[in-house]
Amino acid sequence: MHLRLRLSAALGVLLLVAVPVAAQASVGVGVQAGPVQLSGAAHPGGTYALPPVYVVNTGTEPESVAIRIERISPGTGRTVPQAWIHVSGLPSSLGHGQSARIPLNLVVPAGAKPGRYFSDVVVTGSADLTAGSAHLGVAAATDLEFRVVPGAVSHAWFSVPPWVLVAVAVIVALSLALLLMLRSGTSIRVEQATAGAAAGSGGGRAA
Amino acid sequence: MRHKQPLVFAVAGLGLASLGIAGCGISGKAPPNAGQAASVNLSLQTVPTIRSVTVSPASASFGTCTGGLASKNTHSTGGKLGFPNGHCFVGLATSGIYPITITNTGIASAIYVNGTSANPSDGGSQWILCRKDGHGAPACTRADGRLPGTDQYLVENFSSAGEQRAGIGATPACDPEFVASGRCWAVQGESQNEGIELVGPWSSTDTSTKWTLTITWTPVPSHG
Repeated sequence: MHLRLRLSAALGVLLLVAVPVAAQASVGVGVQAGPVQLSGAAHPGGTYALPPVYVVNTGTEPESVAIRIERISPGTGRTVPQAWIHVSGLPSSLGHGQSARIPLNLVVPAGAKPGRYFSDVVVTGSADLTAGSAHLGVAAATDLEFRVVPGAVSHAWFSVPPWVLVAVAVIVALSLALLLMLRSGTSIRVEQATAGAAAGSGGGRAA
Repeated sequence: MRHKQPLVFAVAGLGLASLGIAGCGISGKAPPNAGQAASVNLSLQTVPTIRSVTVSPASASFGTCTGGLASKNTHSTGGKLGFPNGHCFVGLATSGIYPITITNTGIASAIYVNGTSANPSDGGSQWILCRKDGHGAPACTRADGRLPGTDQYLVENFSSAGEQRAGIGATPACDPEFVASGRCWAVQGESQNEGIELVGPWSSTDTSTKWTLTITWTPVPSHG
């Protein structure tokens, strides 16, 4: 009888120890606190690279992440349509403590209304831990802000490779120099002296 | 002779420019008698600027199901939800059992919560999340909005701070269980232990007996 009681007590202690260990498994996700902003203004019909958004797995389990655009936090401006933001390079999985920078592209339709746009970039961790038939999910949100102004799309200089810019500068400089020469009437004459004539003239000087 | 002047100037300019460019390379050389430059390396640490949350279930599962009609053999049994409008719990408010721990592991943020539709295992008709007040989700259609109608269900989260009686919506909204600082605001390291109560539909179009749903907690920037 006493032995059975002792065994039961030991089993109870074991369960008390084991349950917290099992409870330590967690799902978690983090996102940069700073807003995702476009440095300049966007134009209708334009495509722009937004700064990559930083995401991190703060849980104990490996998880994949998904990104959606949704207006959650308070703020002023037009709501960013989900279809305007293109997400690429999502990692297949992030381990505990692992992070990634996810590229985002803003594609503004030609008919976009001008004004300030505001929404949230919502990063969702998908390593759902099942509680019965309830999955417990996590997400983290950061602001997304940009302005749309009327006008034609201006292609940014940084989108052109540097060597192209150098080549264009050299061609322009040479063209200007050539134009300057032509307008001043200067001509460059290239003469080729024959060997015999050169020798003759040399001999003459010697004499 | 007169025409050759611009060319001379152009050549001279190019020469000067070349000298200037070349000069850049030698201007950094210190004179022989100059003192040696000294520098010191400095390092700086900043506080983390990540907004993050973790959710940890502590052996949580739907259980303690009640309600339904015994006369129609559709009453709740153990961990199985009954009809109409059976109740199932993760944790138990009356016993003070709150198995789900939500921790703000990032900077101070507002903690929002939302749910999804419940999906049957056969991929058929979903149960739509409803709220008693109709904010952020369709209003529940039975008993003057207090109970879910056909293909609707209601989720209420609870903690030692009380119960969210109106229900969780499909759109993320302030989790009132984080009330210690008001406005569902949570500072770094702050956590809350919660439980979930699910109220099932009046009736279900889909006959599946296995359903899945997701409850999500989200830290959100606040501009207030």
